Amino acid sequence: MSTTTVSPPRRPSGRGVQITGGIALLVVLLLAWQFLPGLLNTPRYVIPPLTEVLAALVDPAALPRYLQNAAATMTEVGLGLLIGVALGLGLAVTLAQMPRVYGIVFPYIVAIESIPKVAVAPLFVIWFGFGLPSKVVVVVLLAFFPVLVNTIHGLRSVDRDQIDLFRVNGASPMQLRTRLLIPAALPQIFSGLELAVANAMIGAIVAEFVGAQHGLGVLILQAQGRMETPAVFALLIILSALGILLNLAVRLARRWVITWEPR
Amino acid sequence: MELRGLQKSYATRTGHVHALSAVDLSIRQGEFVAVVGPSGCGKTTMLKILAGLEEPTGGSASLGGHPVRTGSGDVGMVFQKATLLPWKDILANVLLPLSLRRRPTSADRTKAMDLLAMAGLAEFARKRPGELSGGMQQRAAICRALVHDPSLLLMDEPFGALDAMTRDTLNVEVNRIWRETGTTAVLITHSISEAVFLAERVIVMSPRPGRIVEEIIVPFDRERSLDLLGEPEFAALTSRIRSHFEVSHA
Repeated sequence: MSTTTVSPPRRPSGRGVQITGGIALLVVLLLAWQFLPGLLNTPRYVIPPLTEVLAALVDPAALPRYLQNAAATMTEVGLGLLIGVALGLGLAVTLAQMPRVYGIVFPYIVAIESIPKVAVAPLFVIWFGFGLPSKVVVVVLLAFFPVLVNTIHGLRSVDRDQIDLFRVNGASPMQLRTRLLIPAALPQIFSGLELAVANAMIGAIVAEFVGAQHGLGVLILQAQGRMETPAVFALLIILSALGILLNLAVRLARRWVITWEPR
Repeated sequence: MELRGLQKSYATRTGHVHALSAVDLSIRQGEFVAVVGPSGCGKTTMLKILAGLEEPTGGSASLGGHPVRTGSGDVGMVFQKATLLPWKDILANVLLPLSLRRRPTSADRTKAMDLLAMAGLAEFARKRPGELSGGMQQRAAICRALVHDPSLLLMDEPFGALDAMTRDTLNVEVNRIWRETGTTAVLITHSISEAVFLAERVIVMSPRPGRIVEEIIVPFDRERSLDLLGEPEFAALTSRIRSHFEVSHA
């Protein structure tokens, strides 16, 4: 038996062109940001030039405030994700093994899922106050559903023959779960996680807008109140960076866990 | 292996499906039986009942006098797709039937490696299924079905998705494995020539609801080679089986 390894066709310059192109586009955009507002006579409070935004971003007087409030927001995000993901996974695994219960509960999941969940944030402030709990609950709600829905979908689309293979060999329900269903559903579980992470950031910020003492959302509202547009942009940059980092963490974890997935 | 008056029907969204009707079949220990029939004749249902994966709605299936039940551990199963677990290497996949029962011993590992060597896959033991071709994956799946020395080997169109040449090679392999292990084998296939090539007895089934319309004894030696495909006797048997399906299409 002979085998040949087939490496994917690769144009040597393709990757390099992509990187150079990406950097070039970034430079053009940053230059446009710096000079276009002035050229078009856009008021500074509408779109401040890049240098002003960067100055606001690295302002030593503001830095401790940024850090403290970023920590507050990320605490909400982290706690909410932890609880929401755990609940989503747990309920999905439970429901996937109880098709009848799933049939009864499914319409409710769809109904709750179709509520724009950030709209419930004011209600949570009434229920849980202006502190950490109300923010965490909003994040939990937003992180929970993508994980639940994706995981259930993953668990239910496991190959019928693979399940039969386990049954023929006398697998216990626990073995079926841990050694077939959950590993097979990992790609969908991670897709759910990626959505959950993005949702969690949205949830935390919106919850802070609705009523909070700490967090980047609060800082944005304060900067808005003082018409400090460069600070608003600086905060948006911080938020984006945190969101990108979270997303990156999930994607790295996916690569690390699902080593068999073609890349 | 005894099937007596086996019946199976399903309630589906579109109504009631009568999949099997009064199937009587007994299979001797160590016998190789092939089941051929048009799509939807209940062949796969019959195999699942033999494996204990489905309950008949009427009649009985018994193995050595006891009713068939799932997970008795005495069944090896090969599906149309290799159904290997992509996150485990080939060796771990082959060991799966054992590792679901207990922690595999070094003797088990040796046994699995022997099977892989027999299938020409020894050097792929530590590879993931995704790195193997379809034919190699299916060979690994056959090793997996044999690793726990099952007394019954069930194959559901195991080579249906493979090209003709790989199929021929694997058929010779299956013939050899069957002779060497002495396992009882039931093969479900669309391919009449595959059925005649491998089996000692070919069961011809009718369209739904599946019944046995003919049983054909294949009079060749247990050891078979690809030369057999050119024999006039072989052609006579395949055309006799084929005639059943031509009638049903008329």
